[in-house]
Amino acid sequence: MVASELAQYVATGLLVGGVYALMSIGLALIFGVMRVVNFAQGDFMMLGMYLTYYYALAGNVDPLLGALLTIPPFFVLGLLVHRLFLARVTGGGDPNREMDAQLILTLGLSLVITNATTMILSPMPRGINAPYATKAFAAGPLLLNQARSYAFLMALLLAAAVYVLLTRTDLGKALRAAADDPEAAGYQGIDVRTMHGMAFGIGIALVAAAGGLLATYHPIEPNVAVNFIVLMFVAVVLGGLGSVPGAFVGGIVIGLVQSLTLLLLPLQLQNVGVFVTFLVVLYVRPQGLFGRRARAV
Amino acid sequence: MSRLTRSLALTLVLVLLAPMIAVPVAVAAEDVKIALVAPLSGRWARQGQLKKMGAEMAIEEINSQGGIKALGGAKIVLREADAGDSVEKAVSAAQRVLTREKISAGIGSWLSSFTLGVTEVAERLQVPWLTLSYADSITERGFKYTFQSSPVSSAQAEQALDLVVELAKRNNRQIRKAAVVGDNTAATVFFFKPLREKLLAAKGIELVVDEVWTPPLADATSIVQKIRATQPDLVFYGATNFPDSIQVLQKVKEFGLKIHIQGVGAWLVTPEYVKTVGKELLDNIQTVVAAHPVKGQEELVKKFVQRTGEPFMTQDPLCTYAHVWLIKEAIEQAKSADPKAIRDALAKIDLTTGPAATSLAPGRIRFDERGRRIGAVPLIVQWQNGEPFTVVPAGLATRPVVWQK
Repeated sequence: MVASELAQYVATGLLVGGVYALMSIGLALIFGVMRVVNFAQGDFMMLGMYLTYYYALAGNVDPLLGALLTIPPFFVLGLLVHRLFLARVTGGGDPNREMDAQLILTLGLSLVITNATTMILSPMPRGINAPYATKAFAAGPLLLNQARSYAFLMALLLAAAVYVLLTRTDLGKALRAAADDPEAAGYQGIDVRTMHGMAFGIGIALVAAAGGLLATYHPIEPNVAVNFIVLMFVAVVLGGLGSVPGAFVGGIVIGLVQSLTLLLLPLQLQNVGVFVTFLVVLYVRPQGLFGRRARAV
Repeated sequence: MSRLTRSLALTLVLVLLAPMIAVPVAVAAEDVKIALVAPLSGRWARQGQLKKMGAEMAIEEINSQGGIKALGGAKIVLREADAGDSVEKAVSAAQRVLTREKISAGIGSWLSSFTLGVTEVAERLQVPWLTLSYADSITERGFKYTFQSSPVSSAQAEQALDLVVELAKRNNRQIRKAAVVGDNTAATVFFFKPLREKLLAAKGIELVVDEVWTPPLADATSIVQKIRATQPDLVFYGATNFPDSIQVLQKVKEFGLKIHIQGVGAWLVTPEYVKTVGKELLDNIQTVVAAHPVKGQEELVKKFVQRTGEPFMTQDPLCTYAHVWLIKEAIEQAKSADPKAIRDALAKIDLTTGPAATSLAPGRIRFDERGRRIGAVPLIVQWQNGEPFTVVPAGLATRPVVWQK
């Protein structure tokens, strides 16, 4: 194994992991603030891919810009879904019964979204065929796929923006307060229900943007979510349930492990490395890499 | 007897005798139900959708031509069931559709792994089952109700290798090194196995890359890196999952590789490839399939294109089209819609004319005792300017083959 080959595996892993990271932070934010395990997260990602595709098709919008343009409509969609459905099963009542209802609700949403998309848009895969999807930046012996490189950079920027939002703004403080102790936050005048809506809206918008970035090089089809949802959950748990920086690191780690596993194991066992790492981390550090005993964002 | 009583008695006698003296009138024959178990959701849904198109077209033709004559013009109706994206779902769908009502025969389920499960249900419930799936094991279990119309994977591998080596020779090229790259679904596994174990070595070809994955593929870089490092003359390619396949092709282009790609199956010639990666990338890529429109089927293709809006016809709709017609012929011969009678008719059938026979090369349908079609030959289909054409065998080809420069 020469150094350049190893470097190629690392670079590939980082690029793949960047988009996993962006997918996962939305999920972590929703869990951190609302304690809702959103099984429909991958389906909102799929819808983000379609919207980016239609931006490109109808308005000739570059998918990288299209990915950013998915954020406002999906934020509103997230608010609506929260108001219409999730608000009924969060923020009051018996937590155990609420959790059951949340699981059934998000699973149901996932099924409805996937099947409605299949019925309305047909199962036919679509692709944007962005010119940079099949081009690479050459960095010495390294080849970095242009679409994945752009997607990685955009994912970093969006993740940084979320970090700033959570740590430097009043909204972020309110979100973190609602996550840390909803009751005390309520006494301080924070509308916890509104914060839940905001968290869900932001979480959905982020995963839709990740879908848009993914659409620059990955075919779009109604069932694309199944390829990613498990990895999203692994990233979130690996990073520490509810921790946004943890989910980001978790996503990057998954990409790296998937790539570096191929140095030791055959391609067929690519995800074995991911799950072994997952088990080892949870054994050594049950709360995840960035997790705390108490919930946090 | 009063007049009223006499009238009532006469009416009663007429009513009782009416069935005996009535002029026979056409009674609507009972519909014959055919099941289609195919992936209509999940990652192979597109293939299921294409299969359904072919079945519906055949049914419309049969019904508009007077239905099944041996059954008094009985119409065929399709009962579809979604095989989803796992063997468990496919088996459950087959169980549901075959037990809910009387089904005369079934078709499906595209992916060999699904077909292996679904045919177990059909065998248990004694419903004849037609499949285009390639895996050898489908007809290696001693089943009586399974009929495989395609050449099996191992035979395809042998014949495809012969054809490609011959093609290379004709183009003054020699194949010294080969790669096998694909997923671990059943048909691909059975295609690659004989290549690895004996076929390549027998032709003096060195296997330099052997990469198999479980769908979905996270990234194709490592595969294409190995291909770049070893420079095989031929890559046998079996990625049934569309996003995986696209990833590999995009990576081949990104790395600027000029390699000869020989696909394994009809998944590589669906219209969405053109839209997703562009026709330039596809040009000259070829694949071995069980069926594809051949010379003389231009009218059928035209009709299919007009009916469905698809840009061209491929193996999946063509096979289900042939299967529905084949079931119709079997029912005509059996003169019954009973599944057992249809099974017996299929086992004895020897069809050389009609839509079913002309759709499956080389134009004759008969099955051996295992349920394999005798004389089934694979075709090689090649992308040329954004459309896949049959290029081998030459007698059935719609375009001459072009060797990768």
